[in-house]
Amino acid sequence: MSQFKINVNGSEHSVDVAPDMPLLWVLRDVLDLTGSKFGCGIGACGACTVLLDGSEQQSCQIPVSAVGHRKVTTIEGLSKDGNHPLQRAWIEHDVPQCGYCQAGQIMAGAALLKKNPHPTDADIDDVFASHICRCGTYQRIREAIKAAAGVAK
Amino acid sequence: MRHLPTHSRSNQGGGGGGKVSNRLDISRRSFIQIVGGVGASLALASFSSLACADLGGAKAAKLKKGVVFAPNAFVKVDPDGLVTVSIIAPDAGQGSRTSLAMLVAEELDVDWHNIRVTQAPTDSAVYGNQGIGGSHTIVSLYQELREIGAATRAMLIAAAAKTWEVDPTTLKTAKGHVISADGKKSVAYGDLTAMAATMPLPTVKAELKKSEAFNLIGKGATRVDNPDVVTGRAKYGLDVKVPGMVYAVVARTPAFGASIKSFDDSATKKVPGVLEVVQIPSGVAVVGTNTWAALSGRQALKIDWEMGSNADLNSAKITEAMKAAVEPHPDMPAGSKSVEASLQFPYLAHATMEPLNAVADVQEGRCTIWTGSQQPTGHQKDVAGLLKIPVEQVTLNVMLLGGGFGRRLYDEYIIDAVNVSKAIKKPVKLMWTREDDMKHDNYRPACFCSFRGAVDGSGNPVGWSHQAIQAGMGGRPSINYDIANASNKGHTVRIGVPTGPWRSVENTLFNVANECFIDELAHASGKDPFEFRRALLKDDRLRKVLEVAAEKSDWSKPLPAGHGRGIACFHGYGSYAAHVIELSIEGNKIRLHKATCVVDCGIAVNPKGVEAQMQGACTDGLSTALRAEITIDKGGVVQDSWTDYRWMTLDAMPKVEVTILQGGDSPGGMGEVGYPSVAPAVANAVFAATGKRVRKFPIKVEELV
Repeated sequence: MSQFKINVNGSEHSVDVAPDMPLLWVLRDVLDLTGSKFGCGIGACGACTVLLDGSEQQSCQIPVSAVGHRKVTTIEGLSKDGNHPLQRAWIEHDVPQCGYCQAGQIMAGAALLKKNPHPTDADIDDVFASHICRCGTYQRIREAIKAAAGVAK
Repeated sequence: MRHLPTHSRSNQGGGGGGKVSNRLDISRRSFIQIVGGVGASLALASFSSLACADLGGAKAAKLKKGVVFAPNAFVKVDPDGLVTVSIIAPDAGQGSRTSLAMLVAEELDVDWHNIRVTQAPTDSAVYGNQGIGGSHTIVSLYQELREIGAATRAMLIAAAAKTWEVDPTTLKTAKGHVISADGKKSVAYGDLTAMAATMPLPTVKAELKKSEAFNLIGKGATRVDNPDVVTGRAKYGLDVKVPGMVYAVVARTPAFGASIKSFDDSATKKVPGVLEVVQIPSGVAVVGTNTWAALSGRQALKIDWEMGSNADLNSAKITEAMKAAVEPHPDMPAGSKSVEASLQFPYLAHATMEPLNAVADVQEGRCTIWTGSQQPTGHQKDVAGLLKIPVEQVTLNVMLLGGGFGRRLYDEYIIDAVNVSKAIKKPVKLMWTREDDMKHDNYRPACFCSFRGAVDGSGNPVGWSHQAIQAGMGGRPSINYDIANASNKGHTVRIGVPTGPWRSVENTLFNVANECFIDELAHASGKDPFEFRRALLKDDRLRKVLEVAAEKSDWSKPLPAGHGRGIACFHGYGSYAAHVIELSIEGNKIRLHKATCVVDCGIAVNPKGVEAQMQGACTDGLSTALRAEITIDKGGVVQDSWTDYRWMTLDAMPKVEVTILQGGDSPGGMGEVGYPSVAPAVANAVFAATGKRVRKFPIKVEELV
């Protein structure tokens, strides 16, 4: 075990864990931030997606020892009261079915909109090709991202 | 550590800040018997005596003090006017927590924003069977929950009538208020709870609204869990943490029927955070202080396996066994044009997005479980049987399900958790990894369908013989088309691969195969595949969805070269569906352009939910038509994860357009009806584009004939 200091959702946390423990399990098991989901553990589904200094990062693919000073944002920290444009669009477009993958989808969308406020369909395809929704909510994900981006349908 | 609520039977405390009217008496029983229509089994507990799971974790607002009116096990009205509906059906994404609450809210006349839901405790004595499967949730509860809403409303009206000293039949309700005949007086439900709690229970059924008067049913509501889902507050089984809990994973057999000869856990025990290693019936469980410790410990295990009787089993042998079971088809009428074809289907995994998991806390004489289950009452009994304790001593808290599709009808993961907790005498969260899930499912059976059919000189079908050979499960196909002397046979070959129901079950095979072969007969007759089907369909509602699918997809309009449209339909679960898929083929790549989906489910209680089910089932249909398969080698499953069990992703999806028709005045099932006509529409579109037929799923262009 080793001590690591990580910044999650604006707060500094000191954790005493194995250096190879993926960030996902630090968030879920140690910090009780269970919004980021385990779906495969090999970076193939996107359910664990968080932001690392604002960019998309699959939290199952980065050991806690590699996080360093970068700022981690999870779904719990995306907005203060659930009013990020994507969160509002997700509710309005009734995107979730089982809902399990949606935190990862929203975080991927947040990273996309941050660097590309008006994504095209092709831009959306590029990002979401690595995100699985087993319930098949894809069409509503696309619609919600466009709505949040203020892009006309 | 976060403390999660449990369903404590001794908890007689009130909901919110109020005092609870808790009248368990004979008249309550009759209230439920008359009103609920589901028998005395629902009668014995009032809603508020059962503390229910809060799946959202959001802090409850401070409530007004006063009496909570809780006339039955399904509904309570708080003094602040909030109405909480107890949901007996687990929500695996089908939206039961929303649509069932809508049924109560509709008849109770409460604004949707004043509705709260809570997951009912698992208790068959109170609620009967709480399972989900067979698309029956709305179908079986549509009448009962509306009656419960109407009866609760009648008691609130009676309370207002007594307060105002007027005839209750003169009073109306709207938006959570009782209103006087002249409209001058109005009282909020929340202000009537104390009086309502003293009202005699209704002795006759309250009248239900006519469908024209519906404010919610057929209009739609967004999901009640959305705010929790989009903020990460929603609680699935894997998100549960209870005091003193440890974490476990199990090293499982590499082949079906394999067993452990011996294992060496010396390296495992050196992994930091590993607490214990215990052998349980399904394998070797590694217990740790966190998930990563358990996973790392499992990685370090050395197990010597006895590979068992399936060690040499592989997909080629299974296909051979299925083909060998095909019997000779009957002769077709003399002078007719005979057509023969076959279709091969792979095993499919359910692959729920949330891998299987359960938290179990086994104590002396009792056990508490937190999990996602499609069959909580059945699973509760299984746990009681395993531990040899009365079922009342097993508390099973149903969390949100990160997908079901039939997988969570089984409870191996719950049994694993119970076995480990019992062995180590601690509460444990037991998780299956994605690989465990992929390799140890109860799979949709592999299947081989063999056909012979014939058309006469005028292009009319005059013969049909279908033999479906499943590697597991069972059942016999049937057809929706009017063909004389049709023969439909089903056989099962016993293979050592476990199988089970998968969204739409045998329809994922039989209807898909039928709809591909009817297309071949249409081609042999020289007729348009839509017109050919239309002329042969016996059912008016099925014909209608087919016609609307053709219309919405511009079926008769020509397409560019290399493009094709395919059509197919399905009837089941009390509902009807038809699909048209438009695609094009470039080289060996199939590009999807548009999916036209039409459904008639009678009354669509929540049209947004119906549309979602059609979109989701369409995605499943496309995924299994084009990508996903489970293959077997050396007695075990080859696929590990999403990398080789490939599902559709957003970038590959066509535009999916859903049309909802109402061809009946009661709701049909929606969970499964949208699947069985997707894959055949894809296969038929591939033929339209290439002139070549699909003989095997998933479709590979290089395998077309």
